[in-house]
Formats: sequence, C-alpha cells, structure tokens
Amino acid sequence: MPIHEEHLIRPENIKTKDNLVIDGIDVSGHWSTFIESRVVTDYNEEMEEEIAALPGGEFIHRCWQCGSCTNSCTVNAINPEFNPRYWIYLIRMGMESELLRDKDIIWQCVSCNKCTYACPRDVFPEGVMKATSHWLELKGHTEKSPSMHFDEVFAEQIIETGKIEEGRTIRNFFKRTGQSLTQDWMIQMVKNLISNLPVKLLISMGLANVLRPKTRNWAAAGAAISEYAEEKQEEQREALGLTELVEMAKQETESLESKANS
Amino acid sequence: MTKPILIVGGGPAGLAAAHSLAAIGQKSILVEKEDILGGAPILSGYAKLVPTGEWAKDAIGGMVERVKNNKLITVKTGTKVQSFTGEPGNFKAELSDGKPVEAASAILCTGFTHFDSVNKPEWGFGTYDDVVTTTQVEQMISSGQGVRCPSDGRTPKRVAILLCVGSRDRQIGREWCSKICCTVSANLAMEIREELPDCHVYIYYMDIRTYGLYETGYYWRSQEEFKVKYIKARIAEVTSDGEKVIVKGEDTLVKRPITIPFDMVVHAIGMDPNVDNLLLSELFNVDLEPHGFIGKGNTYGDLGATSRPGVYVAGSATGPETIDDSIAQAHGAAMSAYAFANDSSIVAAE
Ligand SMILES: Cc1cc2nc3c(=O)[nH]c(=O)nc-3n(C[C@H](O)[C@H](O)[C@H](O)COP(=O)(O)OP(=O)(O)OC[C@H]3O[C@@H](n4cnc5c(N)ncnc54)[C@H](O)[C@@H]3O)c2cc1C
Ligand code: SF4
Ligand code: SF4
Ligand code: SF4
Repeated sequence: MPIHEEHLIRPENIKTKDNLVIDGIDVSGHWSTFIESRVVTDYNEEMEEEIAALPGGEFIHRCWQCGSCTNSCTVNAINPEFNPRYWIYLIRMGMESELLRDKDIIWQCVSCNKCTYACPRDVFPEGVMKATSHWLELKGHTEKSPSMHFDEVFAEQIIETGKIEEGRTIRNFFKRTGQSLTQDWMIQMVKNLISNLPVKLLISMGLANVLRPKTRNWAAAGAAISEYAEEKQEEQREALGLTELVEMAKQETESLESKANS
Repeated sequence: MTKPILIVGGGPAGLAAAHSLAAIGQKSILVEKEDILGGAPILSGYAKLVPTGEWAKDAIGGMVERVKNNKLITVKTGTKVQSFTGEPGNFKAELSDGKPVEAASAILCTGFTHFDSVNKPEWGFGTYDDVVTTTQVEQMISSGQGVRCPSDGRTPKRVAILLCVGSRDRQIGREWCSKICCTVSANLAMEIREELPDCHVYIYYMDIRTYGLYETGYYWRSQEEFKVKYIKARIAEVTSDGEKVIVKGEDTLVKRPITIPFDMVVHAIGMDPNVDNLLLSELFNVDLEPHGFIGKGNTYGDLGATSRPGVYVAGSATGPETIDDSIAQAHGAAMSAYAFANDSSIVAAE
C-alpha cells in the first residue's frame, strides 16, 4: 500500500510481514503494512550529568528550550536536522535512543558560536555540541570526528615542541583522517604560497619543517601540560563510568603482550 | 464600643483578620468548624512554606498563638454558624453551640477545599498505592518520616509530579489555575532531591506558573541547583506493571509518545471552592462567582466587599490564593469591616 510522505517515517518503523495472521485474519504482505509508533520507554538519567562533566557541557541544565540557538545556527540554516535546542532537550531528559539517531550529524557544528551569543540563559550551546560529540566518541557511538583528530594533532604538537608549525599539523591531520596530501585545492594553495610569499619567509617555513624547532626549555612545561591533560582525561573517563573499561582493556593488552613475548 | 465583628474560618486569613482587628482595639469572634485553628497548612500538615522556607507549624503556629492569647478575640473551635440575620451594623448569628451572637459586620475566611484526585481516575490515585498527592508528600516531610513509597516503604529512585491535577481542566468543570501548585511542586521537588539525592524528579507540565519572583527561587533554582527536570506533557494515563507505576503521555517537545516507569507519582492537586460554599452563600446571602468561590463585590474601592453590605470576604475563599496574599486580603477586609462597624452610615452613604 502506498504510504504518503514516506520519507517522514524512519524505515525501521515500517513493518511488512510475509506471513502474519492476527485473530484469524491474514494480514501478510504489502497491503498490510504497519507503521510502528516510536515510544520512549525509559530515561537515561546519567546522560545529562555525563555530558555536563565534559568541557563545554557544564551549563546544559540552564536551557529553557527557547530555540534561539537553533534559530541562529549556521548549520541549521543548511541542514534543518541539525538542531542544538532539540539535542539539549534529549540530553537533559535522558532520551538516549533519540539522541543516538542523530549521532552522525552532531559533530557538524562549525563552532561559529552564533548560538553562544544568542542564548539568553548562557548555556553555551557550542560547548554543549562539543561535549556531546566528545561523549559520543568516548562512549564508542561514533568514530573520532575530523575536528577531534585535528584538535589532537594540534595539541600533541604543542605539548611536544611548544610551537605550532602549520605544515606539519596539516600533514599529520591528513594522515590521521586518511586524506591524500595531493588534493587539488592543496596543490593550488601551495602554488599560491610559493608565488606570493617573500622568499625569506618561505625559507624559514621550509627549515622549520625539516628542523622541527622547539621552544627553549620546553620539556618541563610540556610534561606539566601533558600530566594535566591526562589528569583531566582520567576525570572524564571516571565521570562517564569508563574507568573500569579502560582498566580492562589495559589488562587485556598487557596479557596479550606477555603472551606474545613468551 | 461597637459590637464585635464575626470572623468565620480560622485559617491564615481568619487569623490575620482577627489579629489586625485586635491591633486597633476591635473585638472579634472567630468561629472555626474544626477543632484546631490554622487552616489548610496546619490541618493538612504542610512542610516548609513558599516563599519563606519556614515550617508551616512554626509560621502558622505563631499566628495561632497570637490569636489565642488575645483578650479581644473570642475563639470558638468546633463550631459553625447556623443562622445569620438582622441588618448591616446589627447582625444576629446563631452558632452551632446554640449561643446567639451579635455582630456589627462579618468577614468570611472560609478558605478552599483540596481537589479530590479520585475524580481523575485515569491518573491512578486510589488505584495504585504509589500514586499520592502533594499534601501527602507535604505530610511525609513534615512528619519526619521522609519521602517513601506507600506500597512497601522503599525510598523512591524516580518520582513524577503531575501538575494541574484538578485545575485547568474543562473535563471536570475546573477552568481556573490554582496559582500556587507549580511553585509548591518545585519546592517539594527540591525537598525530595535534598532528602534523597539519588532520586530523580520529573515534573510534567502544560505551563509553568511560578509567577513573579518565584521564577528565581523555585523555577530556576530547582533546575540549576537541584537538577529537577521539566517535561511538557499532559499525562494521558497512569498504569502499573505490578511493581512500578507507569506514566503514559506525549513528550510534546520531541513529538514522541512516552511510557516511563516511576517509583512514585505525585498529583499536584488544585484548590477547589470550599465544599460548604453553597450553604455559606445561602446562609450569609452572598453571591458566588462563576467558578463557585465567594464573589467579590468591589475590587478597587471597598476592599473585601461581597454582594451583601456589611459582609466581607478574604483569602482563598475568593479563589486560589497564597498564604501571604490571603493575609494581606484579610488585613484589607478587616479594615473595611472595622470602618463599616464603626461608621456604617458613612460607608453606606457613599
Ligand atoms: C498542597 C498545597 C501546598 C500549599 N503550600 C503553600 C505554601 O507553601 N505557601 C503559600 O503561601 N500557600 C500555600 N498553599 C496555599 C494555602 O494553603 C492557602 O493560601 C491558605 O491555606 C489560604 O488560607 P485561608 O485562611 O484563606 O483558607 P484555609 O487555609 O482553607 O482556612 C479556612 C479555614 O476555614 C475553616 N472553615 C471552612 N468552612 C467553614 C465553615 N463553614 N465554618 C467554619 N469554619 C470553616 C476551615 O476549617 C479552615 O480552618 C498551598 C496549598 C496547597 C493545596
Ligand atoms: S557553534 Fe555550532 S551549534 Fe552554535 S550556531 Fe555555530 S554551528 Fe550552530
Ligand atoms: S538558546 Fe540557550 S536557552 Fe535557548 S534553547 Fe538554545 S541553549 Fe536553550
Ligand atoms: S499553578 Fe501550575 S500546576 Fe497549579 S493549576 Fe496553575 S499551572 Fe497548573
């Protein structure tokens, strides 16, 4: 039977049975298609607290659902499914299954912070989007997003050298996200740089690439930062109830290693 | 000295009226049908009051003591007015103890009646033990017992508060907003979270009317400090799976049906007109307003006036009111009744 506006229904809720008899009536086949209603049957009460424990999510409980963030959102203007107001609500009420349906679009936030300036309750929706993407990754619902890879490459480089060297950041970022370095736009950009930048600057950029300069006496600072970062990450895993999982994984790796060694 | 002023009802409004009359040297007779004074906050055992956070028994108890110890006030508990005749300035009442009383004027402070939740059977009160009312939760807290599921005494892990039970509902002929139940519910939700930090509290609402300054201290504080959750849904039905009570409805913000298990469901019951109002209306010959509360005769001039000269009204007898507003109204009505008693010719001539 044709269903009008079928695109409004999630495909998994359209049920057609090849063989089904209800109360003696044969309701098999195409003409007896059922549309299953989606019912929320429980709340995950941990979710709001978990996301609030991640950087950016701290003020989620202030939201009064006014919709200013969604209204001002850069991405929402292009993709109406991208709706920060809606996700904040799902998180606050613990509607995990509903949130997970949108797990593959939440990371699309471009961090323009228009929402931050529109929000009358200082929720910092941009931060909440970040915290939510992070939560989805930590919980294993999504792969690491490209922006997360970028952040990591960026941070690792600073911790290691105390400096940012763009060429290297981009190369590492492309490597981690499996992108080719010889993309058309990339080649074009490099060509433009070469023809437009002063020779002196080009030389120092080239040298920096080869010599990997470090900020002087950086080692202690780098170690302190990385210790702090590890501490924060540990806190986050703790808040998300992941510490045990991490421990288990560690032990498993160790026992595999010792087996391999013996 | 003029004749005394008759005050009917010894709740916050009646207590305040008697006190303010005494403060200006006017005698009064306070007639209360129950055996104790204090009205709903005492009779129903409320816990901490909005907006002061004081325990009802201390705050209202103090008002009771003040009245009991005042020589200008004659208190008659366990008593009703049987008849009320005579002329303005010279009323004659007969009390249920058989005593006649002369009064220059009268103030009705007869209050409200709690909505009886069995009139909304679809929400499970009277069917499931763990469906209770806000007054029951108030009592659990004020008695020191703590918030427990009545079925087996366990501490609840998840509580739903349903707003507007017996208010704003044409199905049962109650179109008014009871005004205080949103704030009272937010207050109770915070008290539950304070006593049981592991217990999550969800409030199901149509609108939140924590009006005026209650916005900060109740609506926001309950969310920001106490993580109480507000869900826009009018619940369709409360059922049970034998163990938990199950709340069914539609979460209107996500357009999704919900069936969520709870340990306890609380009805935020509204304020009905006093069940005695038809009788009182006939006895004192005062009109009721369309919802069944005692009608106000004059809003801007003669404070607390009813349709009958010399008979005044204050507090939740006139419609849903808070304690502080009931008290303020009682002071206003006391002033009007006093002026009437002492120079009724002037008031009547105006
Ligand atoms: C669950 C709940 C919680 C609340 N919590 C708060 C709060 O925290 N803060 C707040 O400000 N307000 C609160 N309120 C509202 C508060 O109860 C009222 O504002 C207050 O009780 C009104 O006082 P009253 O004197 O007008 O009426 P009542 O308190 O109803 O007193 C009326 C008195 O008159 C007596 N009476 C009635 N009929 C007769 C008769 N025929 N003859 C003789 N005597 C009669 C009654 O027995 C009673 O003693 C709450 C209400 C509810 C339902
Ligand atoms: S920061 Fe993200 S959520 Fe906020 S307006 Fe920009 S794209 Fe939208
Ligand atoms: S703008 Fe702020 S308060 Fe409004 S819906 Fe978005 S996050 Fe919530
Ligand atoms: S105060 Fe709130 S709960 Fe009470 S009737 Fe009004 S809207 Fe409903």
